[in-house]
Amino acid sequence: MVWTKWSYMDHWVTETPQGPQPPSFNRAYMDRYVKQLSALGFTGFDTFFFYLPLYAGMYGGVPGFERFLQDNGFDKITGIFSAYPSATRYTAPHVRETHDRIVADCENTLRMCEGLTGVENFIVMPTSTHHQTEPVTDDTIKVVADLWNRVGALTLQHGMKTTCHFEFWGAIRTREQLDTFFRHTDPELVFFFCDTAQHTIAGVDPVQMFRDYSDRCTGFHFKDTKNVDEHEAYRTPPDPELMAPQVTRWFYEMGEGGLVDFPALMKEIVASGYDGWLTVEHDKAELGGGSYAEATAVAKWYIDNVLAEAEAEARAELETAR
Amino acid sequence: MNGIRWSYAINQWKPQFDDFVRREQHERALKTISIAGFEGVELTYGTGRWEPLGNPQQLAANFGSVAGFRDFVRGCALDAVSSWYWDPAERSMEHLTGPLSPLAEADVPAIVARATELAEALAALGGSVLLVRPVGGAGDVEPLDDDAIGRLAACWEAVGRATSEHGVRTALHVDFLSALRRDHVPRLLDRTDPSLVGLAVDTGELTAGGIDPVSVIERSGDRVWHVQFKDALAVDDAEEYLQPHAHWTVRVRGGAREVPRWFAEPGVDGGLVDFAAVTRALQAADYDGWIVVESDQSPHPAASALLAGYLVQRELRPLVEGKEAA
Repeated sequence: MVWTKWSYMDHWVTETPQGPQPPSFNRAYMDRYVKQLSALGFTGFDTFFFYLPLYAGMYGGVPGFERFLQDNGFDKITGIFSAYPSATRYTAPHVRETHDRIVADCENTLRMCEGLTGVENFIVMPTSTHHQTEPVTDDTIKVVADLWNRVGALTLQHGMKTTCHFEFWGAIRTREQLDTFFRHTDPELVFFFCDTAQHTIAGVDPVQMFRDYSDRCTGFHFKDTKNVDEHEAYRTPPDPELMAPQVTRWFYEMGEGGLVDFPALMKEIVASGYDGWLTVEHDKAELGGGSYAEATAVAKWYIDNVLAEAEAEARAELETAR
Repeated sequence: MNGIRWSYAINQWKPQFDDFVRREQHERALKTISIAGFEGVELTYGTGRWEPLGNPQQLAANFGSVAGFRDFVRGCALDAVSSWYWDPAERSMEHLTGPLSPLAEADVPAIVARATELAEALAALGGSVLLVRPVGGAGDVEPLDDDAIGRLAACWEAVGRATSEHGVRTALHVDFLSALRRDHVPRLLDRTDPSLVGLAVDTGELTAGGIDPVSVIERSGDRVWHVQFKDALAVDDAEEYLQPHAHWTVRVRGGAREVPRWFAEPGVDGGLVDFAAVTRALQAADYDGWIVVESDQSPHPAASALLAGYLVQRELRPLVEGKEAA
């Protein structure tokens, strides 16, 4: 058996006559984008909440967009990514008074997903930036947890699991903070989304993190990094991910000699019995002259040629152990 | 060869002489070709230190040996180098020779020797076809009279005989600037031994030259030893190919219309080639061999390979497999 549920996180940038733009630049660009993902064998598609109105406009509704994906060999839209990375007076997960507004905003996003085949994950950044949130205390984390317990109950009514994707520059980033957050959240309502690069940059081992929270894990971003944040970039305003002085590019595609041990993670995934989607994401692949097409091709090559082998080994080990 | 096999031409990654020389660039390109669904790669002859994939000497210099390059290709999950394109008019820094002309009888021994080297390496790389530019551009050689056609036939038969000793076929690749454009191709084919010399059908070049590739396959299907699928975005209907130095003035610079790009990957918006029709014509001719997909210079090489892969996977390969299954 070879893992067939690979999805792509809609984070692509393409060259247009107006410079680099998302493929939603126009439908011809979308056609080419989706055909490329299809040629690579992706069958799931994750996207951002802020693209939904755009796709609805381009394809006569988000379900129309999903049909376009399906016409090109995809199964469905698998995940919606929602976030409040910058705290404002209206939306700040660590400020209880803003929670009603965030919940209402999530309801709006969920309404946009009505009529879809079956989105599985409602992926959220649990917090805003660390520098806007600090000091991060247990009480802070408790407030954040209360928000996502509420949202988790809401999204389940729509068939989606609220699953938390942590950033290295977010307010919940260390292993201790992660454990505290998961203690304060209801395991029936709030789940874990493992971004391999973000955890590695924050000094957290994503393989161990998955091992410890596999029963709550509902998805992954398979992406690599070559740097651990050793200069407290995470505390740097306004945006450590794009503007840290010490590191100009944090993220890389798999198979480029980064720090994440993907074969070990793949074996752990197989051993755990996880059977959900695995998602490839690229972030700023264009830095240094790279192209998203090539980065995605190289990542999928790595999946089919390296991770497939790790998967087969893990399945053989399981079989032997039976 | 049993059945049709799909390969991709690497030339689109190299826009000019000192780009695309680093090992990691080659590795990423080969992996992209592989994951797009192709099993082979076609090389283009080149010479000198910025052409690591250009000829057997450079392969040895960069990979230890031709076998070392074969291991590199296989390490990228490709089965073979399907084919090699060579224009004898390209000089060789490795041999310190200038352009060779198949019209000049004195050049034939050197052409045969060079082709033999390429064929020997190609065989070691799992390939089976040496594509050659049979003669220069229409604006760069005298009109081809019967005597000239006879000299070309003799040259390429000698080459074909030499490459066949390594299990490699010699296929004439006629581009849209060629002095063999139009009715010269059948004249040359008719003068060559069908067991020694075949035809490479390049859909894009033929279409840009105003020639329907389907009609070529219908007429000369039994001589087709190699196929290249690339799309054409414009036709040289003003016959600018007759101008001297048309490689630069017409092919690269786009001629009087300044055509920005004559060619692209199959399936591109505005493409003029009907690839399903060409595929069906090849099936009708019982074609058995490589189909090499090309973009022939692309602003976005990886995207071109993936888009071509989409067309092959979803439309063209099912046509072929349907026929083979039947």
